[in-house]
Amino acid sequence: MKILIADDDEMSRRLLERTLEREGYEVIAVENGRLALLQLSVPEGPRLALLDWMMPELDGPGVCLAIRKQHERPYIHIVLLTSKGSKPDVVAGLEAGADDYLTKPWDPGELTARLRVGQRFLQLEDRLVEARETMRFKATHDNLTSLFNRGVIIDLLDRELTRTRRENGCTVVMLGDLDHFKSINDSYGHVVGDEVLREIARRLLQSVRSYDFVGRYGGEEFLIVLNNCDSTQAIARANEVRNGIANHHVQTMSGPLPVTISLGVFASRDWNAKPVEDILIQTDLALYRAKANGRNCVMLANPPVLIDHVEPVAQF
Amino acid sequence: MTQLYDSFTPATLNLPELLIRLDNDRELLSELIILFQKKYPVLLRQLREYINVKDVIKIESTSHALKGMLSCLSANQSVVLANRIEEMGRDGKTCGLPDALTVFEGEVAKLLAELDRFATKVGT
Repeated sequence: MKILIADDDEMSRRLLERTLEREGYEVIAVENGRLALLQLSVPEGPRLALLDWMMPELDGPGVCLAIRKQHERPYIHIVLLTSKGSKPDVVAGLEAGADDYLTKPWDPGELTARLRVGQRFLQLEDRLVEARETMRFKATHDNLTSLFNRGVIIDLLDRELTRTRRENGCTVVMLGDLDHFKSINDSYGHVVGDEVLREIARRLLQSVRSYDFVGRYGGEEFLIVLNNCDSTQAIARANEVRNGIANHHVQTMSGPLPVTISLGVFASRDWNAKPVEDILIQTDLALYRAKANGRNCVMLANPPVLIDHVEPVAQF
Repeated sequence: MTQLYDSFTPATLNLPELLIRLDNDRELLSELIILFQKKYPVLLRQLREYINVKDVIKIESTSHALKGMLSCLSANQSVVLANRIEEMGRDGKTCGLPDALTVFEGEVAKLLAELDRFATKVGT
């Protein structure tokens, strides 16, 4: 584990460096508070720090205060190491943001034990952050496909439409529904159906840009939001998505299965300010028309024009 | 190692404590001694000047730096004397500083002699 030592006294620095290297730490040693702050502020920088109190340019408590203002960074465990040992000094050091306090001359056993305590705190913090991120992911993503869930994708669409209106841009919305998906579930079982959904999700993500959004809207329905996409490109993009699914069978445990998707497409520029609910209704109607027109095709919400059509594949 | 310990005055240099702190790393000890021998005369000269001109802020910071170096060597008596000068600087008590410095210098002179003897024994 990386550890930062900041001490203007070369002898203290050298002594600490050797003591901590013996304990297996990867030591970074600097001679003033400014350099300490610099080292602690870089991404992947040390998360354990031993700071002397009195240092040129910026003292130990000053470094603590500056570090504690960096809320977005992973927590750094800071130990103040100094010959200032009075109660008011201890209080001032801890109030500045230090986690622990050791007076010089330090006992090597106590020093390394306290650093191990610091490491335990950091490990605990890492586990908490990891658990929080897992929960956040579960709360925002669909369990089966790992796409955004319905609530999140609609929220993202709403935000994107607001941004688009402000910037006078265009957002393209696609609502896709797998054709005859119920037949897959009925013929091959839900496990195979799930395999198909996962693969379709993967292909949808592959067919859009990194800054577009894809979510699972319902059982076999998917909502795709293309940011800053011109309405003239909407149809071509929708057909890329459709072809990305129709052109290759989905490999499942029951063998390769042909799968197609029908898409309703909406381009926000043609509709001015409409609430997200209206947009979803119009897109859904377009999807309904795509289904009525034989499936495996793309239908624009307004005007209701059949854009491309491929003969539907055999039903299951 | 016991023979080596016995030949030093504990009040000036607590060698057993020092070697425990250094995990018996004699190479590191030699390195620290060299650093101290190099830096001490410079800091002492500065401290004398600051005492002459009664610059209490610099007296405090310089004696603090000396105290830190001496504590690295477990030179406990010298640490106490450096701390006394630091406190006098912090409190602005300049009248007793020349005497305190003389006592301090005497103690560190003994320490330097002991460090020389140690360095000779371990072949620094």
